Amino acid sequence: MKSLHSINQRQLLVTLALLLVLLAISSLLIGSEPWPMIQALFSHPDQRSSILALILTEVRLPRVLIATLAGATLGLCGAAMQGLLRNPLATPGLTGSASGAALGAVIALYFGLSSRFALALPVAGMFGSLLAMVLVYLLAGRDASVTTLILAGVAINTLAMALISLLLNLAPSPYAVQELVLWMLGSVTDRSLNDLWIMLPGTLLGWLLMLGCGHGLDALTLGEETAASMGIGLNRLRWQLFIAIALAVGSAVSITGSIGFIGLVVPHLMRPLVGYQPGRLLTISALGGAIMLLLADLAVRLIPAATEIKVGVLTAVVGAPFFLWLIIRSRRSQT
Amino acid sequence: MTTTMSFHYKHCYKVLLPGLLTLLSVLYALTDSALASSPQRVVSTNLCTDQLLLMLAAPTQIASVSALSLEPASSYMAKSAEQYPVNHARIEELLRFKPDLILASPYNSPSMVTFMRKLGYRVELIKPANTIDDIETNIQQIAIQLGKKNKGDALVRTMRQQLAAIKIQPQRKRPGGLFYQPRGYTSGRGTLQDEALRRSGWRNLASEAGIRGYQHIDLETLLRLRPVHIFTSAYAAGTDSLAQRLLYHPALRHLTAGTPITNIDYKYWICGGPMITQAIRLLAKARPVQ
Repeated sequence: MKSLHSINQRQLLVTLALLLVLLAISSLLIGSEPWPMIQALFSHPDQRSSILALILTEVRLPRVLIATLAGATLGLCGAAMQGLLRNPLATPGLTGSASGAALGAVIALYFGLSSRFALALPVAGMFGSLLAMVLVYLLAGRDASVTTLILAGVAINTLAMALISLLLNLAPSPYAVQELVLWMLGSVTDRSLNDLWIMLPGTLLGWLLMLGCGHGLDALTLGEETAASMGIGLNRLRWQLFIAIALAVGSAVSITGSIGFIGLVVPHLMRPLVGYQPGRLLTISALGGAIMLLLADLAVRLIPAATEIKVGVLTAVVGAPFFLWLIIRSRRSQT
Repeated sequence: MTTTMSFHYKHCYKVLLPGLLTLLSVLYALTDSALASSPQRVVSTNLCTDQLLLMLAAPTQIASVSALSLEPASSYMAKSAEQYPVNHARIEELLRFKPDLILASPYNSPSMVTFMRKLGYRVELIKPANTIDDIETNIQQIAIQLGKKNKGDALVRTMRQQLAAIKIQPQRKRPGGLFYQPRGYTSGRGTLQDEALRRSGWRNLASEAGIRGYQHIDLETLLRLRPVHIFTSAYAAGTDSLAQRLLYHPALRHLTAGTPITNIDYKYWICGGPMITQAIRLLAKARPVQ
């Protein structure tokens, strides 16, 4: 029985990884206009290779890689938070870490810090993320009920969003105000390889720290006391995860804005597939998050619109009904 | 002979001088009556009407200009706007100036325009200029409103001369360029930038790709159009935003082989006016040598 299960796990991992690779490749080939790569192959016989190479390496590759990294980060962080707080609604979007990261990034970007020192952007994002998360945690308490956690999250999210809006209004750049939507909904359009290098170190470091927590999270499902008796330092686990999430979410959100609902939906979809084990859920949710964001980004490119729809619009359209369904289900189980 | 001549001259002078004086006084009376009917407390509520008002009116005619006219990045006439009180196109503010002519644009709040008209104020709407013909029409329209028809005609004449003076070397193949603004906007057919590009010997690749007016252009689409030169009129230098960062995308630099994006200041065309000739001169200068 157990061996069968582990084979399934390996199959699941391989399937998801293959799907991710397939999606990444189609993302590279499909542009804002359907099949321009194929069109381009038949037109402009001169110089076409150089312009195709330019579009591939400087526009699409960063977009695909950033979407993959950000999606994986959100999926992974959602799984980690839900495991740590043993709360199905604990996600980067709801517990303030994403909007805190966006606030940090806004401070760094619009007030000239990041133009002097590029790494100021993700670093400010990380601090914002950590601060918001710790605030929600302190407000809600350690064993918060779903409602308390949501309320604390709503309060911190609203505060962060209000501050973002205020700062964008005060920012010296006349273009700043119009970018509120971007920070609230997120986008991976028109990013460059520079942006990828900016977000990469924090994201990878955060992932490593988080994946190292799998065993602790598994133990935590048995209750805090049992976990402690198994030699899991709870305080250490909590801070390791908070810092890991801050590193990863802070870096990702400072480049893409806060893309909602991936951190919520993906772990829920994946949980039954891994036999409800939070440790296993981590890697699988990372893959699932990357797949979901790549899919959403592909859809955004293929939906005909005068200006491109923000990718966060799509994840919210899919995610919000799912969120409602979760609430309704949890209310039923309470009564 | 010489004495008679000189006497003759002196005599002429004596006869002519009073005649000249009467002629002058008649002319003066004429212009005076014209002035009496021309507005004396003109309030402009829009950056674009500010520009033409400041160029055409006598300083005593101007009661107020809009607050934006002081902003040097977008207002070509910022220097001469300094001496006038500013307004923010708010009704109460406008009433205080007791205007006998209000210049506004269709972009001003329609409720302000209707309300001022209801109170019996004369409000003239000046449409934004999208072509050089529009600019000429606007200059002449405002000049007539101000009782400065001659000054308007002279301004149009100078503008035409300046345009004619810009020499465009005929080229075997016109180079392709386009405008790219923060947030990824470009200027297609029916914009001042489009006409300016064509008049300065460029092809506007955005228009050729079917873009009309001021529209968003996808970065990939822009790359595929393969412009040899990219222009922008970004303002607010020294500030930062994602919109402005787009202009530093590495793909753009690779595309134009390291040629940086050329900035042609906003003040030349955010409002249609004779300053468009300076923008066209800068565009013509940026053309690659063949």
